[in-house]
Amino acid sequence: MIPEGMRDVLPPESGQLRAIETALCRRFEAYGYGEVRTPWLEYAETLETVEDDTLEAGYRLRDQQGHELMARTDMTVPVARLAAARFRDRPLPLRFFYVAPSIRPWAPQRSQDGEFEQAGAELLGLHSAAADAESVILLCDCLAALGLRDFRVALGTVAFYTALVDSLGLDDDREKFLEALADRDYPLLESIAGNAGVDQDALKVLWRTLELSGTRDGLSQVRKMASSDAMDDAIRRLVEVRDLIEDAGFEDAVTLDFGLYQDLTYYSGVIFEAYAPGVGLPIASGGRYDGLLQRFEWDIPGVGFAIALDRLHEALEKAGAVPAAAPTCIAFAGGLDEPARAMELRRAGWAVAALPDGAPPPPRPRLHRSGGSYVFEPAVGETVSGSWRDVLRALGIA
Amino acid sequence: MKLGLACDGGPPPLQVLDLLERAGLPAGSLRFEAGPAIVDAGEVTWLLAPGADVLEACSRGALDGGVAGKDLLLELAPQVHELLDLRVCRDVLVYATPEPGAGVLGRGRPRVATRYPRVTRRHFAATGRQVELVAFDAAPLAPGLGIADGVVELRSRLVLDDGGAGAGRPAALRVREEIASCSARLVAGRAARALGGERLADLVGSMRASVEEI
Repeated sequence: MIPEGMRDVLPPESGQLRAIETALCRRFEAYGYGEVRTPWLEYAETLETVEDDTLEAGYRLRDQQGHELMARTDMTVPVARLAAARFRDRPLPLRFFYVAPSIRPWAPQRSQDGEFEQAGAELLGLHSAAADAESVILLCDCLAALGLRDFRVALGTVAFYTALVDSLGLDDDREKFLEALADRDYPLLESIAGNAGVDQDALKVLWRTLELSGTRDGLSQVRKMASSDAMDDAIRRLVEVRDLIEDAGFEDAVTLDFGLYQDLTYYSGVIFEAYAPGVGLPIASGGRYDGLLQRFEWDIPGVGFAIALDRLHEALEKAGAVPAAAPTCIAFAGGLDEPARAMELRRAGWAVAALPDGAPPPPRPRLHRSGGSYVFEPAVGETVSGSWRDVLRALGIA
Repeated sequence: MKLGLACDGGPPPLQVLDLLERAGLPAGSLRFEAGPAIVDAGEVTWLLAPGADVLEACSRGALDGGVAGKDLLLELAPQVHELLDLRVCRDVLVYATPEPGAGVLGRGRPRVATRYPRVTRRHFAATGRQVELVAFDAAPLAPGLGIADGVVELRSRLVLDDGGAGAGRPAALRVREEIASCSARLVAGRAARALGGERLADLVGSMRASVEEI
């Protein structure tokens, strides 16, 4: 038995996940990101620095000195902590990536495992739209490299809504309003706004932008409606990012979504989520978090994303693009007693599982010794029997 | 386009079908279809199924959108976006107890029969009271059986079905508290917008116009 919400991963899925991870690491490295590994236990205080309900709700325990520890609930905060502690004297920007699990208490209605593996990349020290764009481009490149074709990245901005909501004059209901925005509970938004006596013109802007999509027409409409410099800046930024992503050749993969809003408190600007057919929840999400490192007393900006590996695996399954887990393995009955022969095959690139002599026939491809000769059965109905040299020839070795 | 409509054994509610038709969707033939079923109507494939199933299918990315009741959205808190209040099938989730003198003891921790355990627990906890939940689909019958002191149910369901023709007679229950107003909602899974392009925006637009026509 294992705790609810946790799972064991078995072959061949484990091998497929490893192949996915390896492919992702190659992409991250191709952009100059360096891998970091951080402990899965942090001081609770470190994770509480961010003041986010989700991130603070981790499993807690105490060490022998009585310090309160917490199992990490995401990787962005530990990477920020590490950067602020270890890289202050390095030239900016810094680029880090990780492939690691995080743990959050599980509940039946949460559609995420209690322990979930993520592959993510963080770009620290750049304010520019070009940095936002690099993060999205890297994400698109990762997904494309794995052979996922029909994915879409929804691109939005937190800055637009914080500016818009400020202009609504909500006071007490501000938090509730932003929460309803993140959940996209539009009837609730309407009723909160109604109760607070929100200005009708500002509300009209909100409804129009929520329903607008990323077409050029839609964009110019939103810009006309922007009633403050902060809103106009947010839109201009988004367009700049989108244009750079188009330059990189991912124009078909990206759609603007003004209704995108996430209630993770550290996001401050552009945010994005990736979706793939047949998977209901985002396979990746990310965004700009300019205030996060300040919490660790180093005021540099950051942008990054994390890919949910189990959801990416599901998307690849649906798309028929799961990478091969391992080379085809030949079961060699009697191979345990002939290590030299088994090694000869392995050196030539074959995987060989050695079995005792006389083991019950395993699934094909299989090989066994019969008197002085060998019988090799690559598939049902195919048999090669003869000398060892004949076996090698059948395998394309000799 | 694939759309789900919540229905309970029979066809989906007529008011919902009217709205859909006015929005230009091929919902006419559904008046005579009983769920659960998948109905191919040319440009739209309809899933007729219980509300919880419609929400599950939306959240897992199998549908472009769906119509389900706010009562289930409150109870299940599914990973869907609630895009539009269709303002039909209006109802109220209420806490109701037998008329005084019906022989039920007052208790510090009442036993409450309901199909809505999460809503019930949250409602009572928010007001500092404890309840013992009695999971019971035909909740209005439970007090009569002596297994509950009250029920949390939609107001329109506080009737006892006699099994005869007619609509059934009212359960002898009095509404004590209103918990939440409910109505039919247009919902979509989180992925629908990103993957479906303009389709979802068009659907919300035409449904909004259809709702505001009334």
